[in-house]
Amino acid sequence: MTMPETIQEAAAALRAGEVTSAALTETALERIGALNSQVGAFIAVNEEGAVAQAAQADADFAAGIDRGPLQGIPFALKDILATKDQPTTANSLVLDRGWGAGYDAVVSERVRAVGAVLMGKLVLSEFALGPPDEEKPFPIPKNPWALDRTPGGSSSGTGIAVSTGMILGGLGTDTGGSVRFPAAYCGHTGLKVSYGRVPKWGCVPLGYSLDSIGPMARSAYDCAAILNVIAGPDSRDPAGSLEPAEDYLAGIEGGVAGLKVGVPTEYFFDHEKLDPEEKAATEAVIATLADLGAEVVEVNLPHSDLAKEANTLTMVSEAFAYHRMDMSGGRWNDYGSRTRLIIARGAFYTAADYVQAQRFRSWYVKQAAKLMASVDVLVTPTIVEPAALSADTDMSKRLLQPSYTGPFNLLGYPGLAIPAGFSSDLGLPLSAQIVGAPFSEALLLRIGHAYQQQTDWHLRYPAGVMEVAAV
Amino acid sequence: MPVPENVEATVRALVDAAGLPVSDEEFQSFVAMYPALREAADGLYIEEVRYEEPALIFTPVAPVKE
Repeated sequence: MTMPETIQEAAAALRAGEVTSAALTETALERIGALNSQVGAFIAVNEEGAVAQAAQADADFAAGIDRGPLQGIPFALKDILATKDQPTTANSLVLDRGWGAGYDAVVSERVRAVGAVLMGKLVLSEFALGPPDEEKPFPIPKNPWALDRTPGGSSSGTGIAVSTGMILGGLGTDTGGSVRFPAAYCGHTGLKVSYGRVPKWGCVPLGYSLDSIGPMARSAYDCAAILNVIAGPDSRDPAGSLEPAEDYLAGIEGGVAGLKVGVPTEYFFDHEKLDPEEKAATEAVIATLADLGAEVVEVNLPHSDLAKEANTLTMVSEAFAYHRMDMSGGRWNDYGSRTRLIIARGAFYTAADYVQAQRFRSWYVKQAAKLMASVDVLVTPTIVEPAALSADTDMSKRLLQPSYTGPFNLLGYPGLAIPAGFSSDLGLPLSAQIVGAPFSEALLLRIGHAYQQQTDWHLRYPAGVMEVAAV
Repeated sequence: MPVPENVEATVRALVDAAGLPVSDEEFQSFVAMYPALREAADGLYIEEVRYEEPALIFTPVAPVKE
């Protein structure tokens, strides 16, 4: 059978009796079997569990039990989220193999409860930070649009699996761009949620004060359907927000007429390293929103270059605190060769540097709040350039480059990455980012959905790799 | 905090203090990286932030039962 393009389409087909969850799951398993060795999306596939969950979903449909749009949908989780029926590795030899054993993270529990079919655990950057290491026993993730290019990280497996239709939706985590990078490089939609919007209990930490768990799927509509399931407080997450979750699908058809879109030119559009086609694609998104009735205004978010540095300092310092005992306690060489170099940077900052980063953060939050009082959203590029050659992907170098995602982790703001076209030379995906005030996910998804009613970038498949695999 | 004149000595002291068993090659990569890292951290000490409170949260009440 042909895999539906979106959760929305599959959910309608399931309810119309045009397809079964068992058939969707079988198709997903076939795709995984045909493609995974080439693109490295899954660390572990749970075939037996998926088939059983699909059968249960079909039985529930037959009995008139409908748990919502994820019921019966092939879905998967980044292998940093605890699952009671599969081990969790964080893509590392270092994580205690007993960690997460026998229980679900809050988000795993929630997607399981609504009948999503959990296909397995997805590849990531080691501990959501370290680039792939061929010396370690984990799959090497590859960009399905060009196998010699990076798929982005750290939620690389989720990006690849959604892009190739191995799954129709999945979860990633984002501390500096880790949902938005793979969504951008692999050509689909990804939502970095507000800090605290989705409970993190049961997720291996990277940067405690920055981490978030978010949906990754083809469309903004599908991301809204997933967020409906995973958002909302849980008492086990002390960093979780008590802000009530919304119905993120309720207003998704609301359009953009009358909304004020801020375009922060400085840093986000005028940086010398910004790829001209990525810039043009983002400007085209803004033009489309204007055509749909949005008002576009130029704005400034001062010192966003420093915000990127403060985010990096915070992330690396918090990560080093978590990892230091392992790094100095005999596990140094069990880390990937580049992972350990990045995390160990935390040894070079002072305690005062960390506090200063948090003082900067307070100031930056105030500047952003003032700015957001005058506009509804910001639109920026998601990435500086299309996917780089994997051989050239030096995380240390990237940490010294501009970031259009990290400043919004520092703020705790939500950001939606949406496909915005393809590069003219190699046909690599381009992406724009829609950013809003805290807990404005519904608005971002509504804008993303409006844009995706006008374009089909988000529905394109990496035909080359899929034709070779005959899927 | 300006970048120290003897970067190697600074990096060696910090690596040793953290107990990191780095190879010679790794040590040299840290030495090469350190000035940029120091400059980036120092760049956050700007006048606008002079009287800001840090964005840290502390509560004397344990938020979650173990």
